[in-house]
Amino acid sequence: MRFFGMTRLLNTLPASVRRVVGLAGVGLLAGCGLQQDIDVVLPAYPPQLVVEAYLENGQVPRITVTESVAYLAEPTPQVPTDVTATLTLPSGQRTLLKFAPGVDTRTGKAYTHVGTRTLAAQPGQTFGLELLDTQGRRVTGSALVPAQVLLDTVEWVFNDKPDDQRRAYVLGRFRDPATPLDYYRFQIHRRRVNRDPEVDYTVEDRLSNGTEYSLGTGYDYKANDTLFVTLYHLDRPYFLFLQSVQDARNANGNPFGQPSGIKSTVEGGLGVFTFLSYQRRRVMLK
Amino acid sequence: MILRFLFGFTFLAFLLLPAAARAQARYALSGLVKASGAGEALTGATVAVPALSLGASADERGAYSLMLPEGRYQVVVSFIGYQTLTRDINLTRNQRQTFQLAEAGNQLGEVVVEGTGNLQQKLQTTQMSVERLTAKEAKLLPALFGEVDILKTLQLKPGVQSGGEGTSGLFVRGGSADQNLVLVDDALVYNPSHLFGLFSVFNPDAVQSVDLYKGGFPAQYGGRLSSVVDVKLRPGNPDKFTTSGGLGLISSRLTVEGPIKKGKGAFLLAGRRTYFDVFTRQINKANQDDPDFNPIPDYYFYDFNAKANYKLGDKDEVFLSGYLGNDAFSFGSGQGFDFNFNWGNKVAALRWSHTYNSRLFLNTTASYTGYKYDITNRLDQFSFNLASDIQDVSLRSDLDYRPNDQHTYRLGVTATAHRFGTGRLKAGSDDGRLSLGSDVTYYGQEAAVYASDIYKPTEKWQFEYGLRVSGFQSGGQQYGGLEPRAAARYSLTPTLSLKGSYALMYQYVHLVTNSGASLPTDIWYPSRGSVKPQRSQQVAAGLSWLLGDGRYLITNEVYYKWAQRQIDFKDGAQLFVNPDLDSEFLFGKGWAYGNEIYLEKKQGRTTGWLGYTLAWTKRRFPPQRGTSGVNNGDTFYPSYDRRHNLTAVVIHNLSDRLKLSGSFVFSSGQATTLPLGRFGFQDVFGADAAAVPVYPQRNTYRLAPYNRFDLGVVWQMKPTRWIPESDLTFSIYNAYNRRNPYFVYFDQVKDEQTEQVTGYRARQVSLFPVIPSVTYNFKF
Repeated sequence: MRFFGMTRLLNTLPASVRRVVGLAGVGLLAGCGLQQDIDVVLPAYPPQLVVEAYLENGQVPRITVTESVAYLAEPTPQVPTDVTATLTLPSGQRTLLKFAPGVDTRTGKAYTHVGTRTLAAQPGQTFGLELLDTQGRRVTGSALVPAQVLLDTVEWVFNDKPDDQRRAYVLGRFRDPATPLDYYRFQIHRRRVNRDPEVDYTVEDRLSNGTEYSLGTGYDYKANDTLFVTLYHLDRPYFLFLQSVQDARNANGNPFGQPSGIKSTVEGGLGVFTFLSYQRRRVMLK
Repeated sequence: MILRFLFGFTFLAFLLLPAAARAQARYALSGLVKASGAGEALTGATVAVPALSLGASADERGAYSLMLPEGRYQVVVSFIGYQTLTRDINLTRNQRQTFQLAEAGNQLGEVVVEGTGNLQQKLQTTQMSVERLTAKEAKLLPALFGEVDILKTLQLKPGVQSGGEGTSGLFVRGGSADQNLVLVDDALVYNPSHLFGLFSVFNPDAVQSVDLYKGGFPAQYGGRLSSVVDVKLRPGNPDKFTTSGGLGLISSRLTVEGPIKKGKGAFLLAGRRTYFDVFTRQINKANQDDPDFNPIPDYYFYDFNAKANYKLGDKDEVFLSGYLGNDAFSFGSGQGFDFNFNWGNKVAALRWSHTYNSRLFLNTTASYTGYKYDITNRLDQFSFNLASDIQDVSLRSDLDYRPNDQHTYRLGVTATAHRFGTGRLKAGSDDGRLSLGSDVTYYGQEAAVYASDIYKPTEKWQFEYGLRVSGFQSGGQQYGGLEPRAAARYSLTPTLSLKGSYALMYQYVHLVTNSGASLPTDIWYPSRGSVKPQRSQQVAAGLSWLLGDGRYLITNEVYYKWAQRQIDFKDGAQLFVNPDLDSEFLFGKGWAYGNEIYLEKKQGRTTGWLGYTLAWTKRRFPPQRGTSGVNNGDTFYPSYDRRHNLTAVVIHNLSDRLKLSGSFVFSSGQATTLPLGRFGFQDVFGADAAAVPVYPQRNTYRLAPYNRFDLGVVWQMKPTRWIPESDLTFSIYNAYNRRNPYFVYFDQVKDEQTEQVTGYRARQVSLFPVIPSVTYNFKF
């Protein structure tokens, strides 16, 4: 049985130490008035196409294509309007995704291109994506459908404190397949799923392949809380992409951080093209 | 196989020793140089015979040896911080002379007075690219928070860069911080810093001197590519018990020393501890009822040094040295979350010194060194512990043979057993239902033999040449290499020397870090698998010119260093508890070249030095192992590359009781990595949307140049009945309050009303403003 109650810390402990020290230092220095605005001259940065494409079974594909900008540019989102997006199904059939920007009411996320039919895929199948714009920029990627890994149990245990301090920790248990290089993302939302999760971390099975895993929290939840516990089974490229995004964000403002390049799952641009395989459970803590 | 070869080589080297002295009327003048009263050996003191332009330096035991023609001579003995001694010697047979030098001032605020002998010796020696610093000298200079730090003082020497504002790490001639061989009394120190690199582990009260070799490495040193930092601890007072110490802004020190048995031996115990935690605990206590108050983490460090020496007879003496230091960082939220982080070194060395005769010495040292960190984290009923350590057990033996005044031979052998605990993890819950463990440990054995000779065929020429043969094995793989060393000096005139040197070095253990700074969580990894030993070669040439009747020495050195199998790591490398760490390494090449000019004055009321370095450091990691390498395989500058570096240090003796000092540093901006672009990232639904920085290349931006002026005053107080020696040392760090860049980051600009992001800005963070401090030092 493997426990990852503080897996995020466990996985990235040196980074965590660096963050703790770095952020504590930054806070202190800000308090001492040792920060100042400066002008910096950076090398020219050529914009790149950025894609976020999460395919799901039973859903019409909706993807987002934007453009990266120089860091100090205006904060206005750059949405190129001349990108042709083509999705290749496991059967080899190519289907054009229509440019029709909007907001997905289910997810609350913006998208730029949308398909016409819902997807039905089996684990092991592969999808392809191609983006092409009028400047000749071409972004390609492929996404393997991971097998679903199910949560065996979701359980919670209350402490023995008085009612006003009574809290529970939550554990989600699952068994990692015998195959190596499995990656997971664990999320817990309170009340609604289209808001920020209260728990969100990734784990990998490199230390304990093929065993039972328990992913959990501290004593954070009250009686009668409604929680949504989600376990994603990720493929390696998506896991590395998520890690690199986290590393890149942590490096800005941390003198002990190591800046990391974005490990995109696509070629010719930035971003991710993947197939989401997850299980979500709704529980009420009694 | 390698070991057999090494021992064979040693045997051969001994056979090649030439026969002893020539049949001339020449006699040995040998003995010891000691401090009067305290009786401590004055390592590095110069014994000079000006009439013959000959001189010798006292070794770590204070021993010197000169071969002179029969005759009457004036011998000049000098050492920094001590009054120069002149004595007439009539040499008609081999003679032993012990010189005792009186301190130039009191123990705490001595005047730096040095005869011309030391500079003369630097002019004449073949050894180039070496900087010597005594603790006495370092104590005169201003220091951050008043904490005298001998390694930081070395950063004021040409060719040595700091890793950043306030840090004690050394980057020598384009080498990284892990390429320094840091020794204390011949025992290795793996992590020579406290407080995330802000202070070194060396208590100045326990240190006698440090030698920094930047190139032209003598054959007895090996195992690191870029420098040797050879720290010698101070022996205790053999005549009487004394206590000394200091009360500073952030720490206090106490040293006790005295004889073990009169005339036989002495001991020294020195300790210090910081007291941030005393204050922060009181602050936390005062605010414990405030629900909005975030407790301040506890932090302190302490260290102890010990040294004892004991004479077993006229020819035998044993020395025991030890170091124990620890840093402790802890945080308890009071709400179920506790975090404890401890790290530190343990070092012990036992040396047996045997004098066969005035020409033959043997030193044998057994040592242990260990470094470990331990992180314990607890959240409610869950806990985990992460630890890493490295431990070495070493044995070395060095034989010095000085058959005549033309040759000084040194032979030696060393062997080390390494244990690399690269990661040990335990996690679980109180009820035992949940548990996780992992332990990654490697072993390695390292050995070397060497032979060298300092050969002086004429007054004008002097050579030092040697060969080191080193080997390493781990995981069933064996590595080895020949490390030739050579240096030469040619005296154009009695005051002008030309010098050159070459050294090849191997490094078999590697620091695993992807941080720009030295962190306690950095681990050491052996050469094994795809990780081959690092290798470097360096050539240097220079001139030394004695000016102003020997009061000034100007030195100019140009160097070129090239290195293979340099190590870096993949972006986002998983360096913790990774059984497959081998796959995270990247391998490349490095180059460094530059010119160092150094002017020093060590005589008179005003002393000091001026140094300027013009240097380039480059690295290249081509595409490999499924990556595009570093910066797509293009050559880039590492963060410690500095084009210009200027340092000036002045110490002025205003009166017998008042000394002023000042130091100025200017260096080019540090190369650093800033994001050039960004993109919006929505993530899967239910997750945070964010701006993600894009770092296409490393170190494409230079921080603003660094400059700083520090000021120091040492005021020697009047003796009292109870405290005969005391002083107040005032320091002003960063006297003109320069906002030097520590790092730069990008921040969002938000509308105050709507919280909407309206733009982005660059922010520069500085670490230390002007910091005045005062330290009270005493001795009784």
